[in-house]
Amino acid sequence: MITLNRSQTSQEVSREVQAVAACPRLPNWLLWGGMIGLVQIFAIATVQPLGVSTAYPQLVGYLVDKIVPGFAESQPYLQKIGAKIGWEVMLIIGIALGALLSRLLQGRAATTADACEVPQPFRSGFARGLAAFVGGFLILFGARLAGGCTSGHMLSGIAQLAISGFLFGAAAFATGVLIASLLLRRANSQA
Amino acid sequence: METTHILGLITGILFGFALHRAGFSRCTLVMRGLAFKDFTMLKVMLTAIAVGMVGAALLATFFPDHAHLKVKPLYVWGILAGGLIFGVGMAVAGYCPGTALVGLGGGVRDGILAVLGGLTGSFVFILAYPALEPVFIEPLNFGKVTLHELFGVGYLPVALVVAAMLIGIVLWLNRLEAKAQQARG
Repeated sequence: MITLNRSQTSQEVSREVQAVAACPRLPNWLLWGGMIGLVQIFAIATVQPLGVSTAYPQLVGYLVDKIVPGFAESQPYLQKIGAKIGWEVMLIIGIALGALLSRLLQGRAATTADACEVPQPFRSGFARGLAAFVGGFLILFGARLAGGCTSGHMLSGIAQLAISGFLFGAAAFATGVLIASLLLRRANSQA
Repeated sequence: METTHILGLITGILFGFALHRAGFSRCTLVMRGLAFKDFTMLKVMLTAIAVGMVGAALLATFFPDHAHLKVKPLYVWGILAGGLIFGVGMAVAGYCPGTALVGLGGGVRDGILAVLGGLTGSFVFILAYPALEPVFIEPLNFGKVTLHELFGVGYLPVALVVAAMLIGIVLWLNRLEAKAQQARG
């Protein structure tokens, strides 16, 4: 688990991330933003555009059905998306493995670079943990209601010029910007 | 394992590696990004979208057999309500469904908790779906609408123009950030 140095600013952290980035010439955001674009092209050329959030209920359905047989068949949503281990669930397993691989290759520098510097209202470990859990709940509930998340609706939807992607992006950024600004403003006034 | 499974795993590993190197295991990047205190998140996202946009349009135009596009239907109420809920969650957690997994893989406690919250949220959604569908998903559904179809223009030209606009925004953000850094000394 990561130990967090609270006094470290995010600028210092991001400089460390940049220092360990593989390519010295390209800026970090351009190198890895471009890479994500290439991964998208690979995904479209092989199976389907990137999309993460479908895999969560598929995995939940698959696991719950193992414990309570017949659960997947009784739920209309699982009948629609399938309570199965397919491309989507393999994708999310891969994402976690890819992050782990990146961290292992980075070595010691990753310890502080990975740390989660958070705004003042969440400085206590318990409050921050609860916020991460509740936030995680909301992003999946919201993404499933909308039929996609940052990857499915924005990275893929907007890239395909889908109106649904633009609408989702506008809605998500509307509340996202509002809440994040309020949280970080409170953070500054208390600092 | 079938080919599809292996392709999913390879795609995921590349995606997770790139997201981790871009810095998304830390929830800070999304929180500060949404508050416009750090443009890294926007620059990475817009660059990725622009590259994917040009690539998808080139594939669809020149290699249509290899373009596995998947446009999501435009059901206004569900996307609007879901997007608004999603934005709140993203600001509070500092993660989206993909970057939470990057946090988990990177060994960050908050990423693990966000994934657990996400699995719980998915379970509740599965149970709530029969009640939600008639209200949010069935009405005002316009099907799979795209920008170029809506205006009756070619796919590739529109993709090139929009991608150029996105790159323009990225360059502008980059300059704003450089200026702010200079001002701070």
